[in-house]
Parts: sequence; structure tokens; C-alpha cells
Amino acid sequence: MNGTTTRNIVRGLAAATCSLLGTAAALPAIAQEKHWEFDTALLYYGEDGDRVQDISLNLLARRLFPDDKILSIGFAVDSLTGATPSGAVPQNELQTFTRPSGLATYSVAAGGLPLDDTFLDTRYALTASWQQPLGENYAGTAGVSFSTEYDYTHVGANLALARDFNKRNTTVSLGLAVARDELDPVGGAPLPLALMSDVGDLSGRAGSESKDVVDVLLGVTQIVNERFLMQFNYSLSDASGYLNDPYKIMSVVDPISGQPINRPPTPGLVGPLHEYRFENRPDQRTKHSLFGQGKYYLDGKVLDMSYRYMTDAWGIDSHTLDAKLNWPVGDASYIEPHIRFYTQSEADFYRVSLRDGDPLPQFAAADYRLGRFDAITAGIKYGWQTSAGNDFAVRLEYYRQEGEIPSGQLLAGQDSDSLYPGLDAIIFNISYGFAW
Amino acid sequence: MATAERLIPLVVQRQKDHWRGEFTAMGSPCEVLSKASRSIAQMQVGAVAAEAWRIESSFSRYNSDNIVHRINTVNGVAIEVDPETANLIDFAAALYKLSDGRFDITSGVLREVWTFDGSDRVPNEDQVSAVLARVGWHKVLWKRPTLTLLPGMQIDFGGIGKEYAVDRAASIAASFSDAPCLINFGGDMAAVSADPGCMPWRVGIESLTPGTAKPFKRIDLQRGGLATSGDARRFLLKNNIRFSHLLNPLTGWPVVNAPRSVTVAADTCTEAGMLATLAMLMGSGAEPFLQQQAIRSWCIPQLHRGGSGGRTCG
Repeated sequence: MNGTTTRNIVRGLAAATCSLLGTAAALPAIAQEKHWEFDTALLYYGEDGDRVQDISLNLLARRLFPDDKILSIGFAVDSLTGATPSGAVPQNELQTFTRPSGLATYSVAAGGLPLDDTFLDTRYALTASWQQPLGENYAGTAGVSFSTEYDYTHVGANLALARDFNKRNTTVSLGLAVARDELDPVGGAPLPLALMSDVGDLSGRAGSESKDVVDVLLGVTQIVNERFLMQFNYSLSDASGYLNDPYKIMSVVDPISGQPINRPPTPGLVGPLHEYRFENRPDQRTKHSLFGQGKYYLDGKVLDMSYRYMTDAWGIDSHTLDAKLNWPVGDASYIEPHIRFYTQSEADFYRVSLRDGDPLPQFAAADYRLGRFDAITAGIKYGWQTSAGNDFAVRLEYYRQEGEIPSGQLLAGQDSDSLYPGLDAIIFNISYGFAW
Repeated sequence: MATAERLIPLVVQRQKDHWRGEFTAMGSPCEVLSKASRSIAQMQVGAVAAEAWRIESSFSRYNSDNIVHRINTVNGVAIEVDPETANLIDFAAALYKLSDGRFDITSGVLREVWTFDGSDRVPNEDQVSAVLARVGWHKVLWKRPTLTLLPGMQIDFGGIGKEYAVDRAASIAASFSDAPCLINFGGDMAAVSADPGCMPWRVGIESLTPGTAKPFKRIDLQRGGLATSGDARRFLLKNNIRFSHLLNPLTGWPVVNAPRSVTVAADTCTEAGMLATLAMLMGSGAEPFLQQQAIRSWCIPQLHRGGSGGRTCG
């Protein structure tokens, strides 16, 4: 094929193909390559009452290179408002708390659940990853992540390696991620189990803190047949450093009556009227997690079920069962009901409150997220393809969480239902995916 | 292809916005995607499968009671062929000429000495030149409808058959309905539609990279053919030289430094497939070749060729 004949190949081939197929000249092809894929989503998460409201915007762009390399860039903005339970228990009298800044107080009416609104914040997150083949049978991915908010900065890096076996029906992957998070809590991180002090007294505060997290993941994906795909993951996560929530406190109560212990503020100062202590968690947490997922395809519908078991060094065991059914309706749309059940046991050091007169435990926290609770998520998604071939979807979900105080921790006058701050939340998500 | 499987009725299944039917032919998973009604789609799938199986049994060199087998076993005797076989031979002869001898349907006998199983078993020069004596379209006497091979020579439509079947299937599917329809035989495909404004089929070209769930490349195919030629899993490796399973009939040796994969879009699947194959046969000249052609194509180059990486060739 020298220069002169090269030019004639396409035309000569078209003529030969015409005679072979016995048809008139074919209509010209219309084919277009898409180099970029974009996934965008707007999420609203709203808890009932004055609790957390989160609006987040997520953008993910993927550049597909012709030689099997993929660049992914993600950007997210989260805007959190509202308040979250501080860990103090409701009381029959007015409660006053020093704000985390140490510069003011706020009060909660008798019988009210103590909420702390220091939580409101805006978070920006960026991720980037690069994936490419490594030799004949391997693929590597390397990525970085960064996020920042008022009192928190996260920097992370991750690596993953995947290998195919068994005519590409089996993929084994190994991943490693490391992260360092810096916390610079408002007013400084409280010293472990320190008493909440009067306004202006920052003696119980330290400066900024940090934690390191290492995650290792081992996964196997198996294509069983054309209709069935299974995936199993084992992951190990080790966090060390400052693992407390600097804004969470515990009420100190009378061991007989369960009533709060009075604490008169220093004359001339304002401060809490009762005793509260900041929490303290172990400075290390190792988690093991096993995950299994099956996707079954039947007559256009896809059933996706998964189960996760997690156990950690803090004594929390959790089980998650998740099921989705993607059901096509009409020409270019589908509905997808979703249900998820979650249950966890409490951390060994979970205390709904501290008993006055008892020696202080080494570790204690009243954070409801470390307590025993069950949660259910139920919702539905409706998705459709636009005439331009892009994907639109809306998802509405309801989340309910109900907890229980371990019976041994309840004192006279305390009851589990009013002490565990269960919650109801609504999740609404709009997503749009397009290629370019 | 087991007969039993052909007796199982081909049932179409509902996908997002189309019907899908599947079957196996020519050693590949085959599918028909149709936006026609269910009953029409059902008929399209049945007719397409029947045509694919007919072409497979008529022209497979593994079949012992077809025209190819007769041609390959008459040992130098002139043989008269049917019009369809004659069309395929005419096409092969045109390709031989267009490719300056690189595309040659008589090159199949080279497989007697070359087995591409990822090993390092490379034959010696003598073995190759002995077989090469029985290769070369110019040694064949073809005067439609009569074909005369030299004794020991064979022909093989393996490089044409699947793409030909895809185009035949596409025109059969189009005879049932004007609705958009996509024929996909193991990655070689053709889209037909009477409506030039129809929603394109999203074609994902499979990544060769392990663990890559998503396709590395997405092509919106509204109309026309798309075919891929590659040696991802069929090659020999010796002294760090990767011998592709594509053999150069002029030398009897494999093409070296061909891209790992070439995908071409053209008006028909046959043209796309032939251009992809011709590009692969150019070895390291594949990308310049594709650039010279005014066609849309995509290459995945060899990994060891360094950092420049692959690119959209044309």
C-alpha cells in the first residue's frame, strides 16, 4: 500500500462491499465518540425538627482516553445547617451550655433535647484519580482527595491494583488509601472528659488535633453467568489519633434520681447551671468489614442486593441489608424501589450519662451515633433518558432511626425512649448524566 | 453450534427502550437490539439468527459439508461455485489487490506452523517457507464462477464472514421495520434506521484493562458499521517481541508492533472490519494508514511503545 494506492482504498473497498452485499451504496455512517462523561447531582437531606439540613452539589467528570486511560475529577460542595444532639440528656429544668467557642451560652428549655448548632458549615471537596493499564493483565488507579471546611481539613491518597483471571470473568482488586485529617475545633479541642466551664474560661482546651486513617481493601468480582454478577469485599480500616467529636458532651447525673447535678457558675461569670463533661474515645479504631453483593438480571429488570457486616475495636457490630430493583417502564424510563435495613450495637464506652460520684471512666461518649440503634431507609427512584440520550433521575427516600439505651445504664426517672434522640429524615436527589 | 440450542425459541427481552434478543453464532455472542414492536422484534431476531447460522454453516472452514470444504479438498481440480460464494471470492480478490497482497484468503494454511496461545513457540524459517509455498492469491486461477487452487492450497473466509453476516443481518432486520435496530456479533456491529434523527445507540468499546467495569470509550452510533480488530489475547511472545495472531501472507511471519486494537466506523460493518484488519496488517504503520484514510478510527497501541499512548487516529 504505497502512497498512490492508499488513497483509493476506501473508495475501492466501498465498491467491493457494494457488489458483495448486492445493495446500493450504504447511507453514510453517523457515529460520534464521546470523550467526556459527566455526572451531576443535587442532594437534599433534611432531618425533622431543627436538626441537620444538608444541601450538596456533586460533579464528577471522566475523560476517556483512547488508550484505556481514564482521568476522573470530582468536586462537591456541602452546605450544612441546623443542629445536632450534643449528647446531654433532656432534663425537667432549663439547661444552659457554654458554646464550643467558649464565648457565649445557649439554653435549652425544660424537657427539650439539647441540640448544638455549631455544626453549620460549608464543606468543599475535590478528588482526582488516574487509571491505566499496567502490562497485559493489570490495571492501576492512583488518586488524591482533599476537603476543607471551617474546622476540618482532609488530605488523602489512594492506590488500587486490579487483575483479571478466568477469561475476564473474575477480577481481583487490592486497594490502599491513606488520609490525614486535621481538626481545628472552634475554641480549641476540649481536654478529654474536661468539665464544661464558664464563658471566657478556656483552661480545659487544647489547640488543633489530627488523625490518620489507613484503609486496605481486597475485593473479588465474579461474573457467574450472563445474568448474575457477584462481588465480595473485605476491608480493614485503621484510624488513629484524635477520634473524639470535640462538640459532644455528657450530662453528669445523680446516680439515684437521674437528676442533673447543679453547678453554680463562678460569681460574676455566666456558664452552665449543671455539670457536663466532654467525651473521650480511644485514640485508635480498627474496623473489619465484609461485604457481599449480587446483581441479578431478569427480563430487563435488575435486582441488586447487598449485605455488609462490620465489627470494630470499639465494640460496635453492624449489619446492613440493602435491596434495589430496577424496573423499566415505558420506552426510556425506569422506577427503582429501594430498601435498606441497618442495625448496630453500642460502643463499649457508650454512656447515656455519667453518674456523679463514680470514678471517671477512661473512655466515655454519649454520641447517639455510637449507641445501639436500628435504621431503615425506604424510597423510590424514577429515571428517564432524554431525547438527547442523557440520563435524568429523581430519588425520594425516607430515613428513620430509632435507638435504645442499654437497660443497665438507665437510672430511676430515665426512660430509653426520651433519652435516645431518634430521627426522621427526607432525602431528595436529582441527578443528570451526560456525555460530551 | 449445537443443534439443540437452535431449537430453543429466541425470546426477546425488554430493555430500557428497546427489545433485545441474543444467540450464539460464529463463536461469538450475538445480539439484536430493536426499537420495533415486540412481535416485530421477535421476528427480526429469528430471521437474523437464521441468517447468521446459515452463513456460518455455509462458509465455516470447520464444516465438512460446505463449499469451502469442497474447495479445500479437491486438490487442484477446478470447481464451480454458487453466486454467493463467487461474490465472497470476488470481494476477497478485490481486497487482495487493494492491500497489495496483505489480505489473502489463502493464508490460513500458515496456521499449520503458527499457534497463537500466548506461548513462545515460534517456528523456524524452513517450516515457514515450506508452508508459504502454498500461500498466495496470485497462484489461484479465478474465473467466475470457476475456482482452481494449486494442490495443498486452501481458502478461508474467516476474515470476512462475521462482518458480512452483520451487514446481511442488518438489511434483513431493516426489511421488517423502519425502527432503529442494532446488530452486534461479538463486537462487530451495524445500526440501521429509516429516521436520521433517531436516538443513537450507545456503544461502549470494551476496555482491555483489568478490573475496568466501564467501557473506556463510548461511541454514539446512529447509523452505519463499527468493527474492532485486535490481538489482545491471541499472540506469541518471544525475546520480548510480541507476534500478533495476524500473519503477513507475503512473508509467512506475524505482523509485529501492530496496535493492540483498532476500531473503525464506516458505512457498513464489512468496510469497518476490513479497514480495521488492513490497519492491523500494517503493523507499526497502522496509525499512519488510518490517518491517511478519511475514516473515523480509534487505536489502542502496544503498551511497550512508550508514553505517547493511543489516540484517535482518523
